[in-house]
Amino acid sequence: MSAGAVATSIFGVFMVATVALGLLAVRGRGGQGGLAEWSVGGRSLGAVFIWVLMAGESYTSFSYLGAAGWGYNFGAPVLYVVAYMSCGYAVGYLVGPMLWAYAREHGLVGITDMIAHRYGRPWLGAVVAVLATVFLLPYIQLQITGMGVVVSTISYGSISLNWAYFLAFLVTTGFVVVSGLRGSAWVSVLKDVLVIATLAFLAIYVPLHYFDGYGDFLDRIVAEKRDWLTLPGAGDSGYGTAWFATTSLLNALTVVIFPTTVAGYLGARNADALRRNAIWLPAYNVLLFVPMLLGMAALFVVPGLTGADSNLALFKLVTDSLPAWAVGVIGVAAALSSIVPMAVFMLVIGTMWGRSVLSLVPRLQSQQRQKAASQTVVVIAGTLALIMTYAAPNTLVRLSLISYEGMAQLLPMLLLGLVWRRLSMAGAVSGLVVGVGAVCALVFTGNDPVFGVNAGILALVVNLAVALAVTWARPADADARPDAEVLASSDPDTDKRLEASGTSAAGSA
Amino acid sequence: MIRRRPHLLWLLVPFVLYIGALPFVNRVEPVVLGLPFFFAWLLAATVLTPVAAWLTWRGDRKARGEL
Repeated sequence: MSAGAVATSIFGVFMVATVALGLLAVRGRGGQGGLAEWSVGGRSLGAVFIWVLMAGESYTSFSYLGAAGWGYNFGAPVLYVVAYMSCGYAVGYLVGPMLWAYAREHGLVGITDMIAHRYGRPWLGAVVAVLATVFLLPYIQLQITGMGVVVSTISYGSISLNWAYFLAFLVTTGFVVVSGLRGSAWVSVLKDVLVIATLAFLAIYVPLHYFDGYGDFLDRIVAEKRDWLTLPGAGDSGYGTAWFATTSLLNALTVVIFPTTVAGYLGARNADALRRNAIWLPAYNVLLFVPMLLGMAALFVVPGLTGADSNLALFKLVTDSLPAWAVGVIGVAAALSSIVPMAVFMLVIGTMWGRSVLSLVPRLQSQQRQKAASQTVVVIAGTLALIMTYAAPNTLVRLSLISYEGMAQLLPMLLLGLVWRRLSMAGAVSGLVVGVGAVCALVFTGNDPVFGVNAGILALVVNLAVALAVTWARPADADARPDAEVLASSDPDTDKRLEASGTSAAGSA
Repeated sequence: MIRRRPHLLWLLVPFVLYIGALPFVNRVEPVVLGLPFFFAWLLAATVLTPVAAWLTWRGDRKARGEL
């Protein structure tokens, strides 16, 4: 068999296994539980599953492609990913249990649901759902492209890029519609085992194969590539310490309200599972150093990659130095790193629409219909991302630039709103509008970073100022509900009470 | 909240290590076990963050009388 056929066969076997695993995960639970079973795993996932799932979400194909590519192009600035994830887990220690308890108490399944409940306005949830979808779609497309590139590379070109994109879409959509969050957690187990094994292997193998071991590899980097080793990195990157600090800070705050992270939070059986996860999850970040360093190793082996090709820095090393079966296994690990996050992204979009947008249509209000509607939205969203991958790849690439910084603008409305009763709806909405406007204006005019600082954090400051000004300039919202009904509590005693009260609230979800 | 759960201050540790310390650690020398200093520092921070989270968690358990 040719190298391409070997690698492709291994890949195919694992893809079938992935779908089978997703089906197995929901065996015996089919049709029960409605939307909450599908979208947040019936709120019953234990600490280990949540760890695997959340590690799976945050460790995407970016880790193989983008991280190595950034390492190759710039060097040190790429470490912001490690910085914001670690800081984000610390914030999540507080915010995770708070959102979990709020959702559990009021039977909510996502951030748009929480916003609708907090401000007592279902339409506001719908508006935020549409906005969040615009920010999430680019991520689905990024994963489709990422997986497509991987599949095409590891098949030594025998699967074309366009077929690879379609395959990525087909496997993920089929699997998420059937199995929901529980299936994603199961497939995450397979993915994590493969990712840890392949990265650990590469970390040892590459320096030995191309250099005289680690000492030689690191000595050469220190001697020859000094620019890559400190901020602002190689070339005229613009990614200095101020950018590193502000981006890490902004992303650390944003990651805890990112709809996919929240889906993980809400899937937890109890709040303590989330707190314990905040301890273990940062340990996973140690793995991220591997692709970053390997990206820099590629500087010596395959110099001169530019543009999108630099994202292939790691895979060039892999296909160059390893036998076909090993290339296939590493390709599977990278492909699963696309599938798991993509599945959760689609799931979240489906859930948001089913719960916050389509539920405004009276005919679709029953539990079973909400779930069916959500699954339909998943297929539509996936198809849309696929079509745009073929037809207008640049549109979504541009959108992806504002995704994270745009999502950050929901921070005052959601987090501040949940702890501070006085924040008015008019204030929160005005802040959001101004914040998102500022992000678009700065990013699309090429001003990110602006004055060496992350543009999103500037927009967030303006957003917050507007929200406070409008709130104080106008009378308080007329809302007769007591604070306990509207606000969230981060008090550990609350979740004890919720756990003691069993599944009464969850059952109504 | 901080008065009742002072151990939450441990959660600031990653912010200090990754962000606060930046101006002092953004350098190649001294090389630590072959790693340039900036990488070595961030690797150490990545190993210490779980410890900080664990100290917070232990504080919460103690406060609830479970430890």
